[in-house]
Amino acid sequence: MVSALHIITAALAAAFLMGLLKEQQRGLAFGITLVTLAFMSWISAGWLWTFASTDTAAVEIFTAGTQPPFAINLRIGLAEAALTLLINLTGLFSALALKDTLLALGRRAMAVWLVAVMALSGIVLTRDLFNLFVFFEMTVIATAGLVLLSEHSKNDGQALAAGFKYLVVSQFISAFLLIGIIFAYHTTGTLNIDGMAAAAPLLSGSAAQAFSLAFFLIFIAIVAELKPFPANGWALDIYESAHPAFSALFSAATGAAALFAVDKLLLIGGDAWLPMATGIGIITFIAANLLALPQTNDRRLLGYSSIAQTGLILAVLGQRDILGDHTLYIAGGLLLSHAVAKAGLFWLSGLIAERGLEAWAALRGHPVLIFAFVSFICMLTGLPPFPGFYAKWELIHLLAGEGRIALLGLILLGALIEAGYLFRWFGYIMKREAPAEVVDNAAHKVVAVIAALAAAWALSLVWGELSVLQFERGNLLLALPLLFALTFLALDPLPAWLKNTLAIAGLLAWFYLTYTEYDPLRMIFAVIFLIGGSLTLLASYHAHGQRSGFYPSAMLMFAGLAMLIRATDTFDFFVAWELLTVGSYFLILRGKHSEPHALSYILFSLGGAFLILAGFALATQGAPHFDLSALADLVQPLAPWVFLLLAIGFMTKTAAIGLHIWLPGAHAEAETDVSPMVSGILLKAGLYGLIVLLLTMGRQDFYGVELINVMLWIGAITALIGNLLAIFQEDAKRLLAYSSIGQMGYAMFGLALMNHLGWLMALMFVINHYVYKSMLFLSIGGVAKRTGTREMYRMGGLITLMPLSFIATLIGIIAVSGVPPLSGFGGRWIFYNAILTAEARLPMVIIFLAGPIAFLYLFRLIYTIFLGQLKDEFRRVKEAPFWIVLPQMIYVAILLVVAVVPGLVLRHVDSYLNAFFPNGGLVWEGSTITSQFGYWNPVAIMIIVGVIFMTLFAWLLFVNRRAQKVKQFNIVFSAERPFRPETTHFAWNFFAPYRKALGFLTLPLATMFWSTVTDLLHTAGDLARRFYTGNGQTYAFHLLAFVMIVYLFGMGVRP
Amino acid sequence: MISLAQMAMAAGFILILIGFYGALTQRNLLRMIVAFTIADTGVNIVLVAVGHMRGRTAPILDVAVPAADAVARVIDPVPQALVLTAIVIGLGVTALMLAYALKLHARKHTLDIAKMTELKW
Repeated sequence: MVSALHIITAALAAAFLMGLLKEQQRGLAFGITLVTLAFMSWISAGWLWTFASTDTAAVEIFTAGTQPPFAINLRIGLAEAALTLLINLTGLFSALALKDTLLALGRRAMAVWLVAVMALSGIVLTRDLFNLFVFFEMTVIATAGLVLLSEHSKNDGQALAAGFKYLVVSQFISAFLLIGIIFAYHTTGTLNIDGMAAAAPLLSGSAAQAFSLAFFLIFIAIVAELKPFPANGWALDIYESAHPAFSALFSAATGAAALFAVDKLLLIGGDAWLPMATGIGIITFIAANLLALPQTNDRRLLGYSSIAQTGLILAVLGQRDILGDHTLYIAGGLLLSHAVAKAGLFWLSGLIAERGLEAWAALRGHPVLIFAFVSFICMLTGLPPFPGFYAKWELIHLLAGEGRIALLGLILLGALIEAGYLFRWFGYIMKREAPAEVVDNAAHKVVAVIAALAAAWALSLVWGELSVLQFERGNLLLALPLLFALTFLALDPLPAWLKNTLAIAGLLAWFYLTYTEYDPLRMIFAVIFLIGGSLTLLASYHAHGQRSGFYPSAMLMFAGLAMLIRATDTFDFFVAWELLTVGSYFLILRGKHSEPHALSYILFSLGGAFLILAGFALATQGAPHFDLSALADLVQPLAPWVFLLLAIGFMTKTAAIGLHIWLPGAHAEAETDVSPMVSGILLKAGLYGLIVLLLTMGRQDFYGVELINVMLWIGAITALIGNLLAIFQEDAKRLLAYSSIGQMGYAMFGLALMNHLGWLMALMFVINHYVYKSMLFLSIGGVAKRTGTREMYRMGGLITLMPLSFIATLIGIIAVSGVPPLSGFGGRWIFYNAILTAEARLPMVIIFLAGPIAFLYLFRLIYTIFLGQLKDEFRRVKEAPFWIVLPQMIYVAILLVVAVVPGLVLRHVDSYLNAFFPNGGLVWEGSTITSQFGYWNPVAIMIIVGVIFMTLFAWLLFVNRRAQKVKQFNIVFSAERPFRPETTHFAWNFFAPYRKALGFLTLPLATMFWSTVTDLLHTAGDLARRFYTGNGQTYAFHLLAFVMIVYLFGMGVRP
Repeated sequence: MISLAQMAMAAGFILILIGFYGALTQRNLLRMIVAFTIADTGVNIVLVAVGHMRGRTAPILDVAVPAADAVARVIDPVPQALVLTAIVIGLGVTALMLAYALKLHARKHTLDIAKMTELKW
């Protein structure tokens, strides 16, 4: 094994060698630089392999032939090897990305680059405090030099100013550091970090006080290198003005080195200093994310994000007392996620010509780069299967186990804000107009991005393996459904029909492999997710060409759904939940105008997911594994809190009122075949969550409030408001979307009744809603595709041109509205029986009221689209494409079958529910179903309704036989064409009288509330960032004020 | 009675404060750099003062101080070594700052740090 000391000697030797080269030998100099950096990386990699594969103790490296404290010693262990590898590889690939600049500037710049990388490795390796100072100063000097790599005649000296500001601040820092070091040496008699750590606790009296002050100065100086809020204005200017390849090094490598230095210092200081690290870290994390919100410059935004991430890791280091052995796994996971993702993003930034966030839309033509960007932001947000996810999971659980709830909440809040601006950025990339400048895809620059991408996925694999080894959880990357979804990334160039066939085959095969595992309850969801999913995918055959990106997203969602119903413990459940959330987000984002809606979807979903995570963590209380069924064993006072967190989390997915504002846009703006997926299928995931929750936790008393009653009310109000909002929509797909909100309200209401029939009815809703909402979204989507509009008053009279779509819609609305003879009626019948046994009278009235309202919007759907007058421009409209009509016809068949023999499905569920609610079940005899209030015979009803219909129909034909047909245009319009023609159309504002009466219930209160929240956050961020005036002296003053404040707060609470 | 070391240390801290005050109040880049060199000098004096031991000699092993009784007769050599390093680093940083000032003046035709605020927020 090559001594780690050669990481330093190799860089120094190469840097000195540069001086011997001729100024013109730039290619040679660049080659030497790359080879040296590769050699340094190779040394680190060798050590990393040694430590990872064998149980080797850390190795001490002595210099000057003497033991410490008489000479400096270095140490390499697992963490040091990993960090130096990170630093050296970042240095290598950044140098590659900097090729043009380095070749233009020549050997001196390369020597400085080598020294910078070497100094950062030195910070990690050294065990001597003064040596640490020296390496830091080398970093400062090298940084000040390398900031100028981006300097050229046109950019107004911004980098120059930034570099000078940095030097000013670093002068203050080094003064603190030196004074601190000398007094710490004076009191402990050693400069060796381990020696000092051993000596410090033995001090007493004034020596202890002096040491404490000296240590504070050292600590605060090193922390200042982490760019803590608010003493970080200088760093932002560097991020904004420096060459992105340098910023990659500055963010990934410098941050990692400084964090490790803090970690070493905490070894000296001991646990007493941990709260200070946590406090500084978490404030920085929240503040920097908040300030990032209003940023428009990509590099400055990445700078803020870097600072935030570093703050988070500092806060995690401050939790060492409870993280114990897992510190390396958690802090390391977060650190490597941050470093790899941030380096990758900065390298990507080097490919983009303009600095606005929208300019990144140029990436759109490059699927690999888009994939890289997505991987990086998912990595930063801590989504599975990236290391940050595992780290976040363990961290939150440990915090919850120790009762550090405030910190837990702040971490999740900051992470949500971060996800907000990162996913908003991704929305810009996918949806904004691409700029004229194309992506600079020079090979040496792209290689760096690809390397980061490979590292991101390799680390995911490693962290997954570690999670298997340490916690006996699964390696997510090896989960079959996820692997299958990821395979579609590689298959992306294939034609859509082939991928579609593969996708359908995959879903069916998975069902075949697993169907024996499901109990009747899960079976319902398995059928909807897998069989239903493949049915919906039939509609995707209509798409031509390659349909890039659709299948990875869709299959990611289905992978999440498939994993969700098989999950038995909280970890697997949460993983599945996050996967289906992310997959569906990408799917929704594909819609033409869905950018803002996809963003609000992912934010609500992630917010909900974080609540679920917090709920699981609270429930677990430090246990390594937690089965979902163990939720039932929770007791007061914890149980109601867990219930509350989980219930709200699940309700963000079912779009309960108040949390519903993402749904209409997300479902309506999605592509034709995506709408049924996200409405008919995805919404059921939320219901599944609620079912799992209620089955285990059931009734919870929260300070005297029965939580299940609250849910009952929420369900009822959601049903009412959702339906009301639906009747006032002009846009047909939005109408359907709002109606989903109402339908989910029904289902929630049924579950919250907590009796046998209520649950049966909720499960019936689950099935019915899937069938008819998928069908309606497809038929309306088909109409919208043919007519080019979704506004109902623009359509009309399409019955003869699109008869199949008409039939599907007709059947659909009969089913939804719950009139006989279709399955909706069965749902209603069970529902009314269920209500009669429940005690809640008032919500019952509300839910009754919601029924007829549903009928209003459904009537409007059929009346204004298919009946009435045909518009001139649609005279040549054809029936919807075959592949969109086919699934609709299958759904029609299913509805008819289920209407006649509902027992096919419900019987099993009914008997399964007996285990949970033994009383009040139904009696199934032949084709008759009996409850305690009456009976229902679907076949008889079908026959009776059929006979009545045929009779009336025949009579109508008879009386109309001599009616004269009036042609559509045998009337004359004499007036002028009105300014807004739709105002004169009967189908516009169809239910105006109702709006007058009930419109006050549809005020967008929830929308106003949430937009006020986001506006407030934005305004706060925008105001606070004025604090960074751009003046170097102000920044220095910030630093001093920061030191002062931390001293006053921090030393006050210390012994 | 105030010892030499105490006086030196007091002087060092006063110099540091003067230097910091100057760096925060002077807007001219060159004056700021001068202020920093004053503060650096102060830091170095403090370092030396901490290492001072009354009545001992410089840590140079020669005829006057044989290696055998060096431990009892010389002052602690570590702070002195640190100061030497700190001086070298200080020199490097000062030189770099001066180079920066030169470049900034060439580019912006001013030495006023308050006029270099294009990057902010």
